[in-house]
Amino acid sequence: MQENENISHEHDDDEHHEHAHDDNDTAQHTHKHDDDEHHEHAHHHEESFISKYIFSLDHKTIGKQFLIYGLLMFFVGGGLALLFRWQLAYPERPVPIIGASQQYLDDGEVVTGADRMWERIWDDDKEGWLETYMPNGVIDDSFYNMLFTMHATIMVFFVVVPILVGAFGNFLIPLMIGTRDMAFPVLNMLSFWLAVLAAIVMGAGFFVEGGHAAAGWTGYAPLSADPQWTGVGWGQNLWAISLLIQGFSSLVGSINYITTIINMRAPGMTFFRLPLVIWSLFIVAVLLLLAFPVLSSALALLIFDRLAGTTFFSATPEGGGDPLLWQHLFWFFGHPEVYILILPGMGIASELIAVNSRKPIFGYRSMVYAMIAIAFLGWVVWGHHMFQSGMRPGMGAFFMTTTMLIAVPSAIKTFNWLGTMFRGSIRFTTPMLHGIAFVSMFVIGGLSGIYMANTPVDIYIHDTYYIVAHIHYVVFGGSLFAIFGGIIFWFPKMYGRYMNDTLSKIHFWLTFIAFNCTFFPMHILGVGGHMRRIADPTKYEFLQDFQGMNIFITMSAFTLGVSQLILVYNYFWSMYRGKVAEKNPWNVTTLEWEAPTPVPHGNFEEIPTVYRGPYEYSVPGEEHDFIPQAQPEHAAASAGD
Amino acid sequence: MIAQSKLEMTDSQPFSNAKLGVVILLGAETMLFVGLIGAFLVLRMGNVTWPPLSHADIQLPRLVTGINTGLLLISGFTMFQAIRAIQSDRLKQLRVFLIFTGVLGLLFLVIQGSEWIQLVGKGLTLQSGVYGAIFYVLIGCHAIHVLGAVIWLTIVIGMALVGRFSSVSYTGVETCTIYWIYVVALWPILYFMVYFA
Amino acid sequence: MLGWWLPENISTYAQGVDKLFVLIYWITVVVFVLVIGALIVFLIKYRHREGHRAEYIEGSTKLEIIWTTATTVIVFGLAMLSFPQWNNLKSIPENPDYVVQVRGVQFNWYMIYPGPDNEFDTDDDLELENELHVPMNKDIQIVLTSADVIHSFFIPNLRLKQDALPNRFLYNIKFNAIKTGRYEIPCAELCGFGHSGMIGYLNVHTQQEYDEWVKEQWPE
Ligand code: HEA
Ligand code: HEA
Ligand code: CUA
Ligand SMILES: [Cu+2]
Repeated sequence: MQENENISHEHDDDEHHEHAHDDNDTAQHTHKHDDDEHHEHAHHHEESFISKYIFSLDHKTIGKQFLIYGLLMFFVGGGLALLFRWQLAYPERPVPIIGASQQYLDDGEVVTGADRMWERIWDDDKEGWLETYMPNGVIDDSFYNMLFTMHATIMVFFVVVPILVGAFGNFLIPLMIGTRDMAFPVLNMLSFWLAVLAAIVMGAGFFVEGGHAAAGWTGYAPLSADPQWTGVGWGQNLWAISLLIQGFSSLVGSINYITTIINMRAPGMTFFRLPLVIWSLFIVAVLLLLAFPVLSSALALLIFDRLAGTTFFSATPEGGGDPLLWQHLFWFFGHPEVYILILPGMGIASELIAVNSRKPIFGYRSMVYAMIAIAFLGWVVWGHHMFQSGMRPGMGAFFMTTTMLIAVPSAIKTFNWLGTMFRGSIRFTTPMLHGIAFVSMFVIGGLSGIYMANTPVDIYIHDTYYIVAHIHYVVFGGSLFAIFGGIIFWFPKMYGRYMNDTLSKIHFWLTFIAFNCTFFPMHILGVGGHMRRIADPTKYEFLQDFQGMNIFITMSAFTLGVSQLILVYNYFWSMYRGKVAEKNPWNVTTLEWEAPTPVPHGNFEEIPTVYRGPYEYSVPGEEHDFIPQAQPEHAAASAGD
Repeated sequence: MIAQSKLEMTDSQPFSNAKLGVVILLGAETMLFVGLIGAFLVLRMGNVTWPPLSHADIQLPRLVTGINTGLLLISGFTMFQAIRAIQSDRLKQLRVFLIFTGVLGLLFLVIQGSEWIQLVGKGLTLQSGVYGAIFYVLIGCHAIHVLGAVIWLTIVIGMALVGRFSSVSYTGVETCTIYWIYVVALWPILYFMVYFA
Repeated sequence: MLGWWLPENISTYAQGVDKLFVLIYWITVVVFVLVIGALIVFLIKYRHREGHRAEYIEGSTKLEIIWTTATTVIVFGLAMLSFPQWNNLKSIPENPDYVVQVRGVQFNWYMIYPGPDNEFDTDDDLELENELHVPMNKDIQIVLTSADVIHSFFIPNLRLKQDALPNRFLYNIKFNAIKTGRYEIPCAELCGFGHSGMIGYLNVHTQQEYDEWVKEQWPE
């Protein structure tokens, strides 16, 4: 991965090296909010290769690091999903390639070319861990549990949050608010390398005695609290420790973001002139800041239970612990967490839709208030994950109401996106396609949330694939489409080149179709009563009819997976071969497009001054259909905030 | 014109980045304790009697800890004096107050440590049930914060001794003060909740 | 179409669950059609055309108020409809005809019958592994607990689901089956490597069959 790092920035550096030099001399005078961090920071472009590309302090480099890190983990998490999808379609059938090699090891005859490869890998130690987890190449039930546990943990904590918050947050915030870097560049770097450390610790879990955490990404106690229930030893501990490290990483990050946005906005950049994506990142930083420590406290208690012999979560009569305590703590963090996964997506989608409809955001302020409302309500709905948990039924009524109320701000956002397209002049660029996909898929995911929010209905669909469908519609259909769109949209600013549009379009359509084929049928499974987290549906008579659908889902999932390879290929290919992009390729008003491309160290020749709101598109009586925020006042441009 | 007024608006920063950063950090610290206090309350509600019958004989050292609370509150006051001192360039007083504060902080930790040793002797341990467990985790978490604050303070003292601060630049003292006051203010809440629950 | 909708509902208590499900189904279908319909219309009608410019619209307070209130009304109405359902589904039954204790243990359901004296923890108790026998058209109360981790007692055809908590007893599980037959009782909460395949069976008998079964279990 660092390999990619280094190469990836070589060229854009060559292109702007001297650029960076003279630019930084001017930096000192023009920078409106010079502070200590900044002075030392301003000299960083002098530095050696290592500290420029690996331990870089430049928010843009760190952002790209987070992006590549996230994409890498996306493949790990996805690969795990494909593994257990195979098991769900063909239970007790050896997994292709990996499984085949297994048979080779058992009855030493070479089956395929892949086997020769596996021979080389496993011959020296016949006790490789494949034997333990996949006897005869078949995923066994405890390994299945580890697979979906890590799938979810990785996707949530190591893919979506790092990309949305780490990558887009780092790259966009200083550029879009018009400053030269984050408030605390060193903390910023620390945040990234803590995330890497967390990923390493999490990865290590697969190779320890007893295997990795197998209690679901929700790690329900007492199952997770005592090795005797799962047979998992250090795996679960490493899971908890890794998430604690991740907690520090995002703590540091969010402090940085909040400080930067409050203190370092360019002159004239009032809060209500901030682009919506910055608003969303600001709100999410606050959520991360406040939510993650709660998880940390729960994880601390869990580690005490596992290692120090306390009994917080195991309700033994002597111990006097509480089996529901973990669930309350986890979901008090967990629900704000899921909004952390979607809010930046909403922000990005807003940008994509406004830019490509050539129209101001419909109801800018209500969009902001809606996001704030969602963030607030997120704190009082956690009980909707616990309707069947044995929590007092009285609380169910309260949590149902608060949960359903979240439909209201979400409605505001949805309808405002529609309003933004209304009477627009819509350009179907690939980012726009992703924006549209975001809105439609989020609506499906959101509406399925209403079923689950409804306590009586949830009695039946709780812990079925209906939930799984919901998860993926909001988080893949929502967050990931926003991420894809955002990458393609800002790629020209990141690397100074366009991504190949044909490939992007192919990737979009394949993903969009395969995504729906994969996850829509899960609603039907759920309504049929198909439980989640089961390794072998064929064991249940009442699920026999669904096996065909499970096979279909798995095939779609593999298609979905393979489609992602196009994106990654396109990404790295375009970094060097992509068509060179001009300064403002999409005709956008916001500040990041004022900076030269590729963006030099220090971002702006001169800190821009902001004169108007972020969405001045198609202003009547203007010759161009957009007025950059930094364009000085004149005749027709007093509108905008 | 409009833009002009907006200009002033954004350029004036009430807090320096460092100060703001610390204040934000406190938000996270608060939520950490909210989590632990929540756990405490859930377990408290879950048990009819508190301490549970298994610990009926245990009596938390209210008096000594009460006195200890006093010490900590005083340290908060002296810390406040320190910042007043540097604001008016009284470097000597700054050092005195800082050191005094640090000593009080250490004293607090020492006394609490000795109390813990006695409690463990009486049989109140992590493993002896949730009563002991949540006590040590919650109070211990605060103790760690005090320790952290003391370490931070020693660094500040060191900087004060080599004369790094003046009435125009004393962010170092300020940030440390904010954190210290926070840790001090948090304690009485925990004290009354845990010792008198 | 087979298996593409809710499985047969054989519970007197939980008929309302299906009604609510269908209601929400239609609400969401309508909302979805409206939203996506509008989206598609806009995409076609307002696609970029040469020499045609977007209209500068910053918003409309009137519309905002309309859809905010509309959504609020819908969701509140929905909540109102659900409260009574929820309360009667999760309330403790007054005077059930039969009481059975169910204990989840990795990875089995143990069904404990009080026996003739209708007292638990007496020596005429009967403990069956994964087999629950009940008569139809009778109010059955389940006293649910677990011996190790959290399990979830799930009977799809009764629209019944409740987590079983270690060393806690839950008394608010009840049903009244209106159709004889043998139904699966999967465990719905991840409870370890045996979670997949932790299945019990609910046998709903006619009264006579049930009485005979009782005679077999407690002769004399
Ligand atoms: C990005 C992440 C994300 C988002 C945004 C949401 C959004 C919502 N979620 Fe979801 N949720 C998850 C991620 C997310 N969720 C995950 C990961 C789980 C599973 C955890 C686990 O157990 O592993 C989960 C589980 C989950 C449950 C628990 C189910 C169970 O376990 O039994 C519930 C129950 O209420 C729920 C509800 C909701 C609701 C009401 C919303 C609302 O915010 C949706 C609001 C949006 C809309 C309603 C659509 C747009 C609005 C309109 C078009 C207006 C018109 C609408 C009406 C009139 C209704 N979610
Ligand atoms: C947060 C984001 C996120 C994302 C992006 C995904 C993506 C996917 N998820 Fe995820 N999933 C969750 C979050 C997410 N999931 C959560 C929170 C749960 C709940 C877990 C729990 O119950 O605890 C869950 C659970 C879950 C289940 C239920 C498991 C169970 O309950 O038994 C399933 C089943 O199909 C599933 C499938 C998939 C698939 C097919 C994808 C696809 O989108 C993945 C696409 C594929 C790739 C991106 C891989 C590409 C790589 C290659 C093609 C290379 C091939 C490499 C190898 C084969 C090694 N997920
Ligand atoms: Cu028992 Cu799952
Ligand atoms: Cu939730």
